[in-house]
Amino acid sequence: MALLKSLSIRNIFSITHRAAVSSLRNYTTPAVAEDDDSPVDIVNPYKKERRQCILCKLNITPDYKNYRLLSQFQSPYTGRIYGRHITGLCKAKQALVESEISKAQNCAYLPYYYKDKAFLKDPKLFDPENPIRSHRF
Amino acid sequence: MPTYELALMLRTMPKPELKTTLTRISHAIFNSGGIIRNIENLGFRAMPYKTSSHSVVHREANYFVFKIDTATQAVADLKEEYSRDVDIIRQRVYKVQEKADHKCTLEEELLPAAYREDVQKMIELGKTQVNRFTYKFKYNSGLDYYPFQK
Ligand SMILES: [Zn+2]
Repeated sequence: MALLKSLSIRNIFSITHRAAVSSLRNYTTPAVAEDDDSPVDIVNPYKKERRQCILCKLNITPDYKNYRLLSQFQSPYTGRIYGRHITGLCKAKQALVESEISKAQNCAYLPYYYKDKAFLKDPKLFDPENPIRSHRF
Repeated sequence: MPTYELALMLRTMPKPELKTTLTRISHAIFNSGGIIRNIENLGFRAMPYKTSSHSVVHREANYFVFKIDTATQAVADLKEEYSRDVDIIRQRVYKVQEKADHKCTLEEELLPAAYREDVQKMIELGKTQVNRFTYKFKYNSGLDYYPFQK
């Protein structure tokens, strides 16, 4: 009984709703309605912000005299310069970092095969275990 | 006159001696017609690797950076003069880099491979070359068979 009652109520509702819609349709002209609903040209609100590398974001130009900063791009175990897929730098900054590191090593500011133990606890700029693209090896 | 940076490592010595060495170094620059913009003292510290110069092994050094303006021709003479100086362990001359107005291209570099400009260039280059997987040699003999023993 309860089920029947609810069904009938729903039916009535749908009928009245349809009637209301049809009556509305008679009054408004379709052309105007479409014009209001047409898509508006706005800038994409979901567009993501342009990603920048850490050196460009902070506007830092790597310099061979600032060897403490440069040592953060070196492996603490072998002194190897981390690749672009690990450091997350743009091409130009990575090339600059690499050339400045070799300059600093040549000037005896930085060691070649290890990292100065005073710099070992410096904050990590990136995680070598989670590269942007997979390792070559 | 281009701007150079002269990175010098001086041997361990007492302060008055260091002073005379620095004046000697700067006088050499002035005599070659150069000017000194700035002298930076990066301090006395242990070198990351031992260095032998003038048959003495050095493990510590006084680090100095001279910012100088001098003629390009004079740099070689200066380097030669400093190489004879027993107080200088090591010397490097670098040209000062100009401030480059450069925009970060990381966003373009992180795109999938097919959308990257350098990859597109490689694909275009590949299209202009012979595909070695599908290439078949043509004998140009006018025959539809090979006339010789294979
Ligand atoms: Zn960048």
